[in-house]
Amino acid sequence: MTTAPTTTRMRPSRKRTMLLLAAPSVVLLLLICTYPLVYAAIQAVHNGSLINTGQYVGLQNFTLTLPTPEFRNAALFTVVFLLAGVFGSWAIGLGLALLLRMPVPGAKVFRVLLLLPWVMPIVVSATAWNWLVATRDSPLPTIARALGFGDVLFLADPTLAVITVCVVKVWLSFPFMMLMSSSALASVDDSVYEAARLDGAGPWQRFRFITLPMTAKSTYISWVLMAIFCVNDFPTIYLLTGGGPVDATSSLIVLAYRKVFQDFQTGPGVAIAFTMTFVLVIVSALLFSRIRKADVA
Amino acid sequence: MLGAAATAPLLSACGSATASRVVRFWDMPWGPPAYSGLAERVTRGYRTADGARGASYQSVPWNNYYMTFATGIAAGKGPAISTGASFQAFLFEQQGAIHHADNVVEHLHAAGADDVFLPGVLDTMRTADGYVGIPWQLDMRVLWYNKRVLDETGTSVPTDWDSLLDAGRRLKKAGHYAYGTGAGAGNTAGTQMLIGLMLGNGGGLFDPDGNPDCVTNRNIEAMDFAQELVKEKIIDPACLGYSADNVLGQWKSGEVAMGIHDSGLPSRVGDTGDLLDVASPLTGPHGDKGALYYVNNLMMYKSSGTRPAATERFLRYYLQHLQTYWDEGLITALPVLKSIADSEALARDPRQVKIVREWQPISRTYAERGTARLAAVDGGSALYRFTQTILRGDTGPRQALTTLQKSIASIAL
Repeated sequence: MTTAPTTTRMRPSRKRTMLLLAAPSVVLLLLICTYPLVYAAIQAVHNGSLINTGQYVGLQNFTLTLPTPEFRNAALFTVVFLLAGVFGSWAIGLGLALLLRMPVPGAKVFRVLLLLPWVMPIVVSATAWNWLVATRDSPLPTIARALGFGDVLFLADPTLAVITVCVVKVWLSFPFMMLMSSSALASVDDSVYEAARLDGAGPWQRFRFITLPMTAKSTYISWVLMAIFCVNDFPTIYLLTGGGPVDATSSLIVLAYRKVFQDFQTGPGVAIAFTMTFVLVIVSALLFSRIRKADVA
Repeated sequence: MLGAAATAPLLSACGSATASRVVRFWDMPWGPPAYSGLAERVTRGYRTADGARGASYQSVPWNNYYMTFATGIAAGKGPAISTGASFQAFLFEQQGAIHHADNVVEHLHAAGADDVFLPGVLDTMRTADGYVGIPWQLDMRVLWYNKRVLDETGTSVPTDWDSLLDAGRRLKKAGHYAYGTGAGAGNTAGTQMLIGLMLGNGGGLFDPDGNPDCVTNRNIEAMDFAQELVKEKIIDPACLGYSADNVLGQWKSGEVAMGIHDSGLPSRVGDTGDLLDVASPLTGPHGDKGALYYVNNLMMYKSSGTRPAATERFLRYYLQHLQTYWDEGLITALPVLKSIADSEALARDPRQVKIVREWQPISRTYAERGTARLAAVDGGSALYRFTQTILRGDTGPRQALTTLQKSIASIAL
C-alpha cells in the first residue's frame, strides 16, 4: 500500500484564484501603509520636523541614535517586556485554558470574567493598577508593609517598576492567549488523549507529547501576534510609569514617542521606529518559519 | 508611530490657499469645562469692521497637542492664532510658522505697554526676530502649605532653606510628608520643584546668552539640598512613581503639608482648598529669592489662510476681553495685565494677591531669552530623567547636572 505524499503542489489555476481573492486586501493594505512608510523613510534620513522635511542627512539619525546608552537600555527593556509578555501570558493563558476544559461548575462565567482584563480600555486598567500600587497607602504597598517588607516602591524603584510593568502586561494579555489556546485545544480530539491514557501516559507526558505538539501551530501564531503587541505597546508603559524611573521601563516605542513628540527630534525618533519595524519583521519571519515547520509536522 | 509622524505632510495637500475672513482661534482647556464655553462666547463676540462674525473657536486637548498643531499647520488648516504650551511659539518660530507680534507690541507701546503688563513679562516673548507671542496669563509655581497641619504639629511656616528642613523634620515625625511632589508618568511637578530650588539659589539652567549652564556651584548646592529632603524622607521616596493625580490625592488627604504647586491648587483639592495658604518665597542660603513661572501666550501663525492684519486685530480684541475670565472665576492662573492684577476679581482671593505681589516679581522662566530649545527642555526627556535621578538620590548632583548639561547641549532643533 502506498502512502499519499505529505505535501501537494498547488495547481496554477487555484493559485491564480487565491491571488485574485487576496488582491483587494493587498491593494488596500498597500494604499494605507505605503505612504506613511515612504514618508517616514524620508523623515528618517532628514533632520526636519513634523512641519518641515529639513535637510538630507543620510544615515546620521541611525548612526547617532542607535549606539547610545538610552537606545540600548530601551532595546534591552523591550526584549525583557516582550519575553515576559509573550511567555508569561502564554503560560497563564494555556494553564487556564486547560483548567477550563475540565468539568468545573460555572466554567462559562469564569471564561467571561477572565476576558475582562483584555476587553477593558487600557486607560481604565492603567488607572486601576496605579491605584493598586502607586502610593504608600495603595493596597499592595499596604499589604507588603503588613507582611514586614517595609515600604515597597512598586513604581519608584527601577527593578520593581520593570517587574510591575511586566506583570501588568501579562495580566492584560493572558485572556488573548487563553482564547487562542482554548480554540487550539478544542481541535484536539479526546480520543487521542484516551489512547495515550490506555498506553500508560501520565498527565505530564500527555501535555508534553500531545497537547504541545498538536497546538504548536496556534501557539506560534499567538507568539508572533503577542510579540508584535508587546513591542508596539505604548499605552501600558506610558500610562503607568512614563518610561521611568530613570528610563528603567523605557521601551523602544516609548523612546521613539519621546524623541518625536517631547524632544521634537523627528528624524531620530522615526529612525528608532524604523529599526523596531525591521526587527519585528525578522522576528515574525523566524516565527512564521516555525509555523510552517509545525504545519508540515 | 511611523504613520503618526507621516500624517502631517499628507494632509498638507488638503490646504487652502485662499485667505479666510474668519480668524481661526485654537485654545487649550485652561480651566473647568465652563472656561471653554466662555472662551467660545468671547471669540464669537468678535466682529469684523463690516459687522460680520470674525472668528471661530476650537478647543484643543493637551494630549498630543504638538501633533494636533503640527498637522494643522502643515495642512494649511491650522489656527491663525492660538494659546498653547509656554514655549510652543518659540518652537514653531524656528520651524518658520510664526507670524511675529511686533505690530501688536507697537500698538501696545503706543498705549503705554510698560504700564499694561506686569514687570518683565512681555520681554520673555522676544527673540532675535521679534516677539513670538503676546502674554495672556502666568502659570506660577509657588509654595503652598496646609494651615491646619502646620498648626496641629506646631510647625512654623518656613522662610528659608534651614527652616524648611526643620519644618520638614517636625512634620515627618508627625507622619506627614512635608514637601509633596511627584515625578511619575506625565508629571512635571518634581522637575518644577527642582528648577525652582535652582532659581531660588541664584542658579538656573542657562547663562544670560541662552547657553546651557547647568553645572554651577549654586545648582549643585540646590540639588544637594533637594537630595537632603529625599534622604530625610521629607519628600516621599515613592514620588518617582506619582502621577499628578497621586500628588493631588495626597494634598487632599492632608498627607502632604507643603509643596510647590501652581496657583490653582486650592480649586483641585476639594474642601482641603480652604485650608491651604501661600508662603512667602523662601530665601536661599546666599540671600537669593527666585521661583519658576511659565508665561503662557497668544501666538499667531503664517500660512493659516488668514490675513495677518485681521489676526492682529483679533488679538488686540482678545486682550481687551481677558478680564472676563477672572471676573467669572474660570481661570486660576495669574493675569499678565496690571489692570486685572489690581482688579476686584483678583482681590476676592488674598492668596492670589500675595502671589502677584510676592512671587511674580521674583519669578523667572527657564532662560532669559526664549529659544526653540526650551520647548524640548520643558517636558522633554532630559529634564524628566534628571529629575528622577536627583529624587532617587543615588547619583550625586554634579554628575546628574553634567549629564543634563550634555543632554540639553545635544538638543539640535
